[in-house]
Amino acid sequence: MKCSALKLCSGIGLSVFVAFAPQLQATESESFLIKNATLHTATAKGRLDHADLRVANGKIQQIGVNLEPQEGDKVFDATGKHVTPGLMNARTQLGLVEISAVESTNDTSTEMEGMGASFNIAPAINFHSTLIPQNRTNGLTRALVMPYNGNNLFAGEGALILLRSEKNGLIKQRAVQSAVYGSAAAGMSGGSRAAAYARLEKALSEATYVRSNLSQFKPGIKYEFSQSLDDLKALIPVLTGQVPLVIEAGRADDILNLIALKKKFGFKLVVSGAGEAWQVAKELAEGNVPVLMDPIANIPSFDALTVRLDGAAKLYEAGVKLIFTGGGTHNAYLVRQSAGNAVANGLPHTAAIEAMTINAAEVFGVKNYGQLEPGMDADVVIWDGDPLEVTSNTYAVFIQGERQSMVSRATRLRDRYWQLKGSQTGYSR
Amino acid sequence: MKVSRLVLFALLSVSAGCQPEKPHEKVEVKRPEPVFVSTYKPLPSKSMLFKNATLLVGTGERIDKAFLFIKDGKVVEVGKSVAVSPDVEIVDVKGKWITPGIIDVHSHLGVYPSPSHKMAEDGNEMTAPNTAEVWAEHAVWTQDPGFNLARAGGVTSMLVLPGSANLFGGRGVALKNVPSVTMQGMKFPNAPHALKMACGENPKRVYGSDGRSPMTRMGNVAGYRKAWIEAVEYKKSWDDYYKKAEQGEEVEPPGRDLQLETLKGVLEGKIRIHNHCYRAEEMAVMIDIAKEFGYKISTFHHAIEAYKVADLLAENNICAAMWADWWGFKHEAFDTVTENVAMVDKASPNACAIVHSDSAIGIQHLNQEAAKAMAAGNRMGLQIKPKDAIRWLTLNSARSMGVDSLVGSLESGKMADFVIWNQNPFSVYAKAEKVFIDGALVFDRDDKSRQAASDFELGIEDPEGERL
Repeated sequence: MKCSALKLCSGIGLSVFVAFAPQLQATESESFLIKNATLHTATAKGRLDHADLRVANGKIQQIGVNLEPQEGDKVFDATGKHVTPGLMNARTQLGLVEISAVESTNDTSTEMEGMGASFNIAPAINFHSTLIPQNRTNGLTRALVMPYNGNNLFAGEGALILLRSEKNGLIKQRAVQSAVYGSAAAGMSGGSRAAAYARLEKALSEATYVRSNLSQFKPGIKYEFSQSLDDLKALIPVLTGQVPLVIEAGRADDILNLIALKKKFGFKLVVSGAGEAWQVAKELAEGNVPVLMDPIANIPSFDALTVRLDGAAKLYEAGVKLIFTGGGTHNAYLVRQSAGNAVANGLPHTAAIEAMTINAAEVFGVKNYGQLEPGMDADVVIWDGDPLEVTSNTYAVFIQGERQSMVSRATRLRDRYWQLKGSQTGYSR
Repeated sequence: MKVSRLVLFALLSVSAGCQPEKPHEKVEVKRPEPVFVSTYKPLPSKSMLFKNATLLVGTGERIDKAFLFIKDGKVVEVGKSVAVSPDVEIVDVKGKWITPGIIDVHSHLGVYPSPSHKMAEDGNEMTAPNTAEVWAEHAVWTQDPGFNLARAGGVTSMLVLPGSANLFGGRGVALKNVPSVTMQGMKFPNAPHALKMACGENPKRVYGSDGRSPMTRMGNVAGYRKAWIEAVEYKKSWDDYYKKAEQGEEVEPPGRDLQLETLKGVLEGKIRIHNHCYRAEEMAVMIDIAKEFGYKISTFHHAIEAYKVADLLAENNICAAMWADWWGFKHEAFDTVTENVAMVDKASPNACAIVHSDSAIGIQHLNQEAAKAMAAGNRMGLQIKPKDAIRWLTLNSARSMGVDSLVGSLESGKMADFVIWNQNPFSVYAKAEKVFIDGALVFDRDDKSRQAASDFELGIEDPEGERL
């Protein structure tokens, strides 16, 4: 819910949110100054204590100490509080799924023939999903929305979104191409990952051919390729390096094979899942391959027997760029709990913040987001404690400078059943 | 023993026949012996005194600068000052926190082990809506690496349950989280069996989509009631048999039925109902079914909507086992509130709120899950402290499982199952440093020799190395 009008927000507050309304009142949020906070900047400056941050016109204007409010600034005393960029989860199905098991609300994948790499997920994103406020009120302001694989190794094209309940939440469609390798890919390739590898390689070779001979291909003609022509065309931005190719893989050898594939075709590879990535950390670092992972996921599988809680720390030490996911889609905001566990297992706190903000922004081409730095979009979250700590809650959430409502369907239910205790509105017991 | 009882029975029967003047003398009739009995033996332990701990008792009490004295695997004393004889080892744990061992009332470790694959899935006997005859313990793979990971998270006991595909999924088993080759070596001595039941979507999806009953929630309830009607009859036939046999009548025992034996155990109060049930109105219906047939429901699991009927649960002395924040995977899991646990806890002094995992990852971080639930409650002003929230993982779980006289709190005479944490456990940074089960050190973060690796993990990565 856009919260730009004071009346709208306070109206919501009065009806259902009185008992637990945050101390801060909703504002026009044209400009504001956060005073005396611990800033997690996600820049080389790292963490700044007792620092101030000023926002105007939707952008971060200034960071420093003892900043003076300018005319019209709302001032937040954030003593004892922490501030981060709005968090980003880089592997979600936000907007694609409301209730996972209810098919009519689930648009995560397609099994349509000829629609693999060209499956652009963006039109399916429902910005009025209840998952958007659920995650936004908990500090997530951006997400990468990725399709799941249907029956093609290429899942399709993911989108970058702002967690706003309106159409302009779409920042960028076709932001990323997604594929799968390992045992899941073997299952789609007749039973062996060697066949899956050959198919990936073939698709990229064919896309290279199509790219070089684009004018030869005419509509209405069926061509003999391993993928549909649309799918091969969709891989051209991958070959040109405009769009990263995220490939799911766990086993160390699988990851090495993907690095070889990257070398052959020169695309921007991101390895996702990556349970055994720590074992090939050196090769990943040398190959400039970021890893997209949920650092709390430490249950061994036959695709990742050596997965471990300090995997993220080991990758970081080797110089691999980390991008975090976690919490699934419904609780995509819990990426911060995953990040906290990475820190508990040796990752520097600053690196964990970067893995939920600037790193994803850099790899996936999100402009003006991901750091507390003048000029950046003011996606800003004020936390009542350490943002990685499970006992911390959001105190205020801003997206591009706009204060967001803290109401979600869940808070509505909470308030109905706590305040009414079954005594009104026909819901007595 | 078995033979002698039979012989005794026969002799007494005969002699009763010869001596009609004493027809009412009670005859001893053979009762079924326990099967798959626990062989669990506490590991070697020492008498130890821990001092200077921040100690959460598990009862709602917190003691700072606390002493904890353990001996012979039991808690002897907890308090501000404890005197011990000179031979007792004294350990200063200043800066550390001690809690009772964590108990997870909803685990599928061993029956849905990792690495996961089709042939390792042993938790759901999806062949009929009533499979009360199957027992989870018959499928527990003790080499599941998840047991060791859970131990490193401070989990000392758990209830391993069958899955939720069926109206009656089968018996669950309480385990002590010790490394063991056999299931019997982990089986919690004298803990009651659980009977897993399931409401809602799962049974109707599994069977209804096959054109079988249950296809609807109506069918679910008909299925429960039909089974309980049979169970009541079955119990009566055995009760009648024992009554007559004990009076010396020559009667044939009824035929054994494994399925009905389980339900009979529930009607007799020996087996506890653990009911997967998300929606408030279904919980209310299940409570009425229990009243109709005269049994008790111990716990509603995955109780996403428990906050809507928290008072009803407390009135009926039923626990609610909940996730801190999972939701949305099914329609019946849609009405989430992150304050669910806290709201249930605060509904009544008799409330029994539990944080469960149902997850091989979640079980490793139940302290964090409870911390999130606590923080959510505190955000709405409920003022829940670690000393309160620890009950959601310890004494309330023990109460749910029927082992609260044995574990769940650090009170005199209870099993010395406890965790030494490097800090306040309600933190993402907290780690279980040492884990004790029956007074024995079963996990030590600083000592590789106290970090059990399962057989599966040996040589799996490097023939000569360790997986972790």
